[in-house]
Amino acid sequence: MSNKKKLWQIFGPVLAAFVLLACVFLLPFPLTHYSQNDLRESSVSFSSQIVKGEAVKNAAFSDKKVNYVPFFGSSELSRIDSLHPSVLAEKYKRNYQPFMLGKAGSDSLVHFLNMQEMQGTLKTKKAVYVVSPQWFTKTGSDAGFNLFYSPLQTVDWLRNIGHNQPSETDQFVASQLLEKSVVKNNAYYHRLLTKVSKGEKLSTANLSTLDIKHQILSRQDALFSRCESSSNYKSRVLPAAKSLPKIYSKNALDRLGYEEGQKGTTNNDFHIKNSFYTTRVMPEKKALKGAQKDYDYTKSVEYAYFQSVLDNFAKNHTDVMFVITPVNQRWAKYTGLNNDMYQESVQKIKYQLQSQGFNNIADLSKDGGKDYFMQDTIHVGWRGWLELDQYLNPFLSSDSSQTNYQINNRFLSKDWQNLKPSKQSLSSFK
Amino acid sequence: MPNLQPYADPNYFVYLLLALVPLAIGLYFGKRFVAYEILVSLAFIFLIFDDKTHAGQGVALIVYSIWQFLLGWGYVRYRKEHNQSSVFYTVTALSILPIFLVRLSGAGIFHAQLSLLGFLGISYLTFRSVGMIIEVRDGAIKDFHPVMFLRFMLFMPTLSSGPIDRYTRFAKDAAVAPAREEYIDLLGDATKKLFLGLFYKFIVAHYAEIAYNYFQGMAMSDAHHGMILSWWLIPVAYSYGMYLFFDFAGYSLFALSISYVMGIRSPINFNKPYASKNIKEFWNRWHMSLSFWFRDFVFMRFVFLFLKHKWIKNRNTVSTIAYFVNMLVMGFWHGLTWYYILYGFMHGAALAGNDAWIRFKRKHKKVIPHNKFTEGFAVVLTFHFVMLSFLVFCGFLDTFWFHR
Repeated sequence: MSNKKKLWQIFGPVLAAFVLLACVFLLPFPLTHYSQNDLRESSVSFSSQIVKGEAVKNAAFSDKKVNYVPFFGSSELSRIDSLHPSVLAEKYKRNYQPFMLGKAGSDSLVHFLNMQEMQGTLKTKKAVYVVSPQWFTKTGSDAGFNLFYSPLQTVDWLRNIGHNQPSETDQFVASQLLEKSVVKNNAYYHRLLTKVSKGEKLSTANLSTLDIKHQILSRQDALFSRCESSSNYKSRVLPAAKSLPKIYSKNALDRLGYEEGQKGTTNNDFHIKNSFYTTRVMPEKKALKGAQKDYDYTKSVEYAYFQSVLDNFAKNHTDVMFVITPVNQRWAKYTGLNNDMYQESVQKIKYQLQSQGFNNIADLSKDGGKDYFMQDTIHVGWRGWLELDQYLNPFLSSDSSQTNYQINNRFLSKDWQNLKPSKQSLSSFK
Repeated sequence: MPNLQPYADPNYFVYLLLALVPLAIGLYFGKRFVAYEILVSLAFIFLIFDDKTHAGQGVALIVYSIWQFLLGWGYVRYRKEHNQSSVFYTVTALSILPIFLVRLSGAGIFHAQLSLLGFLGISYLTFRSVGMIIEVRDGAIKDFHPVMFLRFMLFMPTLSSGPIDRYTRFAKDAAVAPAREEYIDLLGDATKKLFLGLFYKFIVAHYAEIAYNYFQGMAMSDAHHGMILSWWLIPVAYSYGMYLFFDFAGYSLFALSISYVMGIRSPINFNKPYASKNIKEFWNRWHMSLSFWFRDFVFMRFVFLFLKHKWIKNRNTVSTIAYFVNMLVMGFWHGLTWYYILYGFMHGAALAGNDAWIRFKRKHKKVIPHNKFTEGFAVVLTFHFVMLSFLVFCGFLDTFWFHR
């Protein structure tokens, strides 16, 4: 055999493989089909894969049969019990169905990037944003970042910026992403984000490479995001909905929540769900006593991440409701979490919202002491979910209203991040 | 500057292979561009260490290389005139000293700041340099070639995790360009190995790792309930065994593939280890470049030394002791923790036990059957023993029992 022929035998198959791969990634045939059941299950799968990608989000939010509404949040979303928003929407045939985005670790930076893949949705749909004061630690809770990050988010974001001058929010987020190892070690993204962080416009050449990246990455997303399977809807939401009374009555449901809470929290004095208590609290109970007395949520880089999300809502005129979550008061007393500090951080969050025209706020932060309002340490459940429904149902069932947001970029600043909130300091912050 | 950890993600291969194209073309036409090869090697080593978190390691690598260079150069010069055992042992000890200090400080026994001497690949470079000193002692290496020495020490494809090459073997390849026919065959082999490696590391090992993490989580929840043992430890062991093999074998295939493209036939590292009929065969198939190194430079030396001086007369006793010494040294090399040492001990005992069994079998040939079924049984038994030893090796038991 001639040498040339040998070389062909070696590299021919490699070339063929690359050609095939290019076909899969570049030819315009659809790879995705999501059934109604797939979407329903995805709505309560809490999968990081969905936050990373755009295929499932696109399919769900453009679905013609079911009006899926994005619920951005973190660990609380997955506390499914009889009065969970997904269960109530299913049982009482609401004209909306929550689509849960996020799980433990997804904070505002994650959601800012998550939203870049669904800007169209934010323009046409309402949204719910669940804020946990626990996100607002000094350096932000970026432990979850790698779990939820995908380059596709960055590509979508940069394409959304397009030929425009990057906004202050864009510059801020770019400078923060440059600190993350997943971005830092990739020369391509590093170069583009450095540009954005300096406020320089992306060139036409930049944008055409981004188009190619988008083609490849979204293809990859469509190929792989369907592998994730979950059965929460079938195994948890539907059975829970079955046990509810036929006709919605707040009093009857409240009683039911009380009873279920009572039945579910028998092995501890904190009103924490039994299974959570045995697996998560008991092993470390001693160590946790007084462990949170120095926690401080009032000064945090997270306030600026949160501002990035607000800016993005404003840009898309999204009609959005914010939910501020409480902590279990019985538990907080044990861990020594300072309630005054907690309320100060809530005031700071609310000031940031209201002063910019975000007035739909479900502030549950003072309800953490009510019986069976919480399912465990920091997550609402039973009666808490029902209370939240009093805000969500009227908001989501009605038509969208005109939004009027006035964004103040000062909320991105270090001054705001480190501001010690008090009545005076807040009202004088401009 | 981007930071590129070796073989960590698919982009790395694109960059590296592109950089190697000129070298490959040269080799195809019978020319070896040594300067270019050194340049690429150094550039990709630089890219491992070029960020804040790795810069210290880069400095450590430079210091380490100078140290080994001086030892190698000095010992070759000395060896031309003299051949005293004490000098040989001293030089060997000095060569091992850096990794010894790093391991001590890593275990928290000694000054913690000495861990600054460590860097990605130190354990593998130690084999290269110690092996070289032994070859000088044996007279296999007569002259010190500074450039060849550095090419060998800092050969980039195998820098971080082997396979472990020998200087004499490496120098033979590296001095010339292979014949065109041979080089084409090497390229063919390189391509096969690269794709098999991609399949191993980025697909099989990826899922095995997910399973391994999942089972660890399940076992830990039993630990939180105060249980001393958990059924979940069984899948922890097997999923780790799968992860370790596919990750490491995949990695070794990458290293071989890149070596071949550079016209260097680095030794293979894995040969279907889980199909071994006994533990001795396992070590001839698992992490082969390491176990052969230990066989040649620890086990054999130990046996010869004892037999030569007649410290112990019984050959079987000597080899039993040598097995333990061999595997315990390997355990220590991995790190000074109870589980690496126990792992070494388990394998030492298994090797000694295996020898004893084979002697016993030979004596009783007539009563002990030997057929396909017993061979199959032997494979299954060996595999399960290895998985058990990997449960120890992976260190999860340490977390499970002592860091709940």
